[in-house]
Amino acid sequence: MSKYINTLIVSLFLLNISFAGNKIFNKSNKQKVDQCITCHLDDEETNKEPAHLYKQDIHFEKGITCAGCHGGDATKDDMDEAMDKNKGYIGIPNKAVRYKVCIKCHSDANKMKSFGSNIPTDQFEKLKGSIHFSESLNGSTPIADCVTCHSVHNIASVNSPKSTVYPTRVPYLCKSCHSNAALMKKYNPKLPTDQYNKYRTSVHGKQNAKGDTNVAECVSCHGNHGILSVKNSKSSVYPTNVPKLCSKCHSNAKLMDKYKLPHDQYENYKESVHGKALFVKQDLSAPACNDCHGNHGAVPPGVESISNVCGTCHNLNAELFEKSPHKKVFDKLNLPECETCHGNHKIIHVTDELLGVNKHAVCSKCHNNTKKDKAYFAVLDMKTLIDSLINSDSSSKKVLNNASQKGMDVSDAMYSLKKVKQVLIETRTVTHLANLKKFKSKIKKGFALTSKTKKEGLDAIDEYYFRRYGLGVATIIITFLVILLYIKTKRMDAKKR
Amino acid sequence: MKEKYNTKLYNWLDERFHLDSLVSFLKHKSVPDYRNTIWYYFGGISLLLFIVQVTTGILLIMYYKGSEDLAYESIQFINAKVSFGWLIRSIHSWSANLMILSVFIHMFSVYFLKAFRKPRELTWYTGIFLLFLCMGFGFSGYLLPWDELAFFATKVGTDIAGQLPFVGEFLLKLLRGGDDVTGATLSRFFGLHVAILPGIFIVLLSFHLIFIQRQGMSEPEEWKNKPESEKKSIPFFPNFALHDLLIWLIVINILAILATFFPWELGSKANAFSSAPVGIKPEWYFLFMFQALKFIPAKIWIFEGEVVGILTFGLAGLLWILVPFWDSKTPKGKRNKILNYVGLFVLAFIIIFTILGYLLA
Repeated sequence: MSKYINTLIVSLFLLNISFAGNKIFNKSNKQKVDQCITCHLDDEETNKEPAHLYKQDIHFEKGITCAGCHGGDATKDDMDEAMDKNKGYIGIPNKAVRYKVCIKCHSDANKMKSFGSNIPTDQFEKLKGSIHFSESLNGSTPIADCVTCHSVHNIASVNSPKSTVYPTRVPYLCKSCHSNAALMKKYNPKLPTDQYNKYRTSVHGKQNAKGDTNVAECVSCHGNHGILSVKNSKSSVYPTNVPKLCSKCHSNAKLMDKYKLPHDQYENYKESVHGKALFVKQDLSAPACNDCHGNHGAVPPGVESISNVCGTCHNLNAELFEKSPHKKVFDKLNLPECETCHGNHKIIHVTDELLGVNKHAVCSKCHNNTKKDKAYFAVLDMKTLIDSLINSDSSSKKVLNNASQKGMDVSDAMYSLKKVKQVLIETRTVTHLANLKKFKSKIKKGFALTSKTKKEGLDAIDEYYFRRYGLGVATIIITFLVILLYIKTKRMDAKKR
Repeated sequence: MKEKYNTKLYNWLDERFHLDSLVSFLKHKSVPDYRNTIWYYFGGISLLLFIVQVTTGILLIMYYKGSEDLAYESIQFINAKVSFGWLIRSIHSWSANLMILSVFIHMFSVYFLKAFRKPRELTWYTGIFLLFLCMGFGFSGYLLPWDELAFFATKVGTDIAGQLPFVGEFLLKLLRGGDDVTGATLSRFFGLHVAILPGIFIVLLSFHLIFIQRQGMSEPEEWKNKPESEKKSIPFFPNFALHDLLIWLIVINILAILATFFPWELGSKANAFSSAPVGIKPEWYFLFMFQALKFIPAKIWIFEGEVVGILTFGLAGLLWILVPFWDSKTPKGKRNKILNYVGLFVLAFIIIFTILGYLLA
C-alpha cells in the first residue's frame, strides 16, 4: 500500500514540475520573440517612452507582445516584415476604435483564462451603456474609453498601488476631468467641478488620503465601467438607490466595527418617515443619506448644524426653533436640536402624542409637574387644545355629513372645514416656538371654523325638517281644498242631473 | 246686503267692460259628458304646468347667469343660498318633465278621440307645434346648469342634428355657435330658452286657445248621428272649471312632493376636456329616437344608417302631423281602424324604445 502512495506522490510532484516548467517556458519563450521591444528600446531616450514603460506593464508580464495590440509580427527583427500590414499591423490604434484592441481579449472569457486571468469580461458591455462612452465633442471618439482611465503601456493590475485605478489613486484619476471646469462645461455646464475638493474634506476622502482602501472613493459609489447619469433611475447614486449604496459599507458590521461606527442606520432609515417616502411613495424629494450628510463631502452633521440640515426642508420649523427658548438651553446643554425630540435615522411619523406630558411625549423628558416648571402646564394646555380642536373638527364633520345625507347642500361648509387641517398643521408647527400665547392665537382660527361650519350644518338640518314640515302643511291644505272641491263638484253634478 | 254689493260690483264692471257677452259665452260653453271626458283635462294640466314654468322661470332668471364661467355657480347659489331657490329650481325641472308628459298624453288623447278632424285641423297643428316647442324648451333648458351630464347630452343631441343631409352642418353650427359645445352654445341656448321659444310659444298657445274657445270642445265621433237630446254635457263654468281646479290642485301637490323628496340634482361642472360619462343619454322624451337610431346599422345600402333613421323619423313625424289630411274616413262618420292601429303602434314604439333606452344604457 505504502508503495502505491509513494508512487502517487512522486507522480504528482513530477506532474507539478512539468506544468510549472511549461508555464515558465511559455512566458520566456514569448518574451524572447518580441523583437519590437528590442529595436524600440534602442530608439528611446527616456524610460517614460512606450517600450520602456511596457516592460512594467501587466500585459508584458503575461507575455503579450506589442503585436498583441499593434498587429504585425513581433518575431521578425526586420522592420518591414515586423510591421507588415498583411500581417495585421495597424500602428497606433485609431482613437475612435482603440477600445476594440482591448475588448479583443477583455471581452473573451477563454482568452482571459488562457492568460491565467479571472477578471470579469463584461467591462465593455457596461462601458457601452455608460455616460462616458457617449460621443465626445469631436464627434468621433467616445468621451472616455479604456485608455482614458487605465492608461497605456504601463497598465498595472487594479490591485497594484501603481495602477491608475487603485482605490487611493481613483480620486486623482477622476479629478483630471471632473475638476476641469472648462472641459466639464462643454459637456454639462450644470455639473459641479468641486467634487474632488469636497471629497478631501469628507471622512472618506481623509481616510483615502491616508492610504485606507476600505473607504469609499468615486468608483465605490458611481461604479466603474458602467457609470450612469445621476438622473438615470438605474444609477447607483439615483436618490432611491443611495441608501442601499451607502449600506453596502455602513451596514457591514465587521467593517464598521473597525471604525467604531454603528451599522444599523439603513435598517433605521427604512423605518423612518423619510425612508417610507423615498421607498414606498417613490418621492424623490425625500431625503436620502446624502441629503443630510452631504455626498462628496460626507461627514456626520455636528450638533450645531443639525437644525440647518433639517431646516433645508423644514425651514419654518427651524426658524421657529431658532426663536424659541429651547434654542439657548439646547446650546448650553450641547443637545442636538431637532434630533433630541425627533431622532435621526429612525424619524417616525410625528403624531400629537409627541406633545404633552404623558410618558410617550418628548416634552416630559425634560419638563416635570412642579410649580416652578411653567412650561409643563403650557405643554399640557397645548395638547388639550389640539385634542379639543380635533374633536371639534370631527363633530362638525359628523353634523355636515348628516346634513349631506339628508340631501342638503353643505358643500361650502365642507370646503371651509377642510381649512381646519391647515390650521392644525400651522398649530403643530408653532409648537416649535414653545410659546403658548402664539399657539393659542393660531389655534383660535380652527375653533372659529369648526363652530361656524357646525352651525351651518345644524342650520341645514333644521332647513331639511322645515321643508318636510312645510310640505306636510302645504299637502294638508291642498288635500283639504281637494276634498272640498270634490264635495262641491259632486253636489253640482248631482244637482245638474 | 252681500248680494247688493256683488250686483253693484258686477254692474260697475259691466258698464266698463261689457261683461254680459262673456257671461253669456261661459253660460253656454259646455263639455261632452261621456266615458272619455277624463282625457279632456290634460289640455288644462298642460296649461297649468306651462304657467308654473313661466312663474318659476321668471324667479330663476333673477339669479341665473347664462355664461360659461358663472352658469354652474349660479345654479349652486340658487340651490344653496337663495331662499326657496332649491324648491323653485326643483319645481321648474319637475314641472318641465310633467308638462311634456302631459302634452304627449293630450296629443295621443286628441288623436285617438279623432278630435283633430274637421274643423279642428288648425288646433291640431298648433298643438303639435306646441309639443315640438316644449321639446325645444327641454333640450335648451337641459344645458343651462352647465353640468357634465348636460354638456355631453347636448353634445350628443347636436351631433345627431348635424347628421342631417344638406342642412346638418349648418344646423350644427347654428345650434352650437361654432364647431363644439362651448360658452357660445350656452349663450344661444339661454337666449332660445328664455326669449325666442317663449315668444313663439305664447303666440301659438294663444291661437290654440282661441281656436278651442271659438269651436268649443270636440264631441265624440259616435255622437255625429245622435239627436241633441241624447247628447249629455256639463257646463264648462262652473262644473268643468271646478273639476279642472280639483285636478290642478292634485298636480300641484304631486309637484311639491316630487320637488321636496326628489330635488333635481346638479352634477359636477362641465369640463370639455374630461371624457364623457358612461352611458350618456338624452332626456327621456328624446330617448326613443336616440335608442332607435342606435339599433340602425351603420350602412343601409349606400346610405349612412343614422341619416336614414333621422329621415325616417322626419317622415313619420310629418305623416303624424298631417293626419287630418290623410284620414278621409273619420270626417265621413266612418270608423278608421287603421288610424287606431297606427296610433297604437306609435305609442308602443315610444314606450318600448324609451324603456330599452334606460335598460341598455
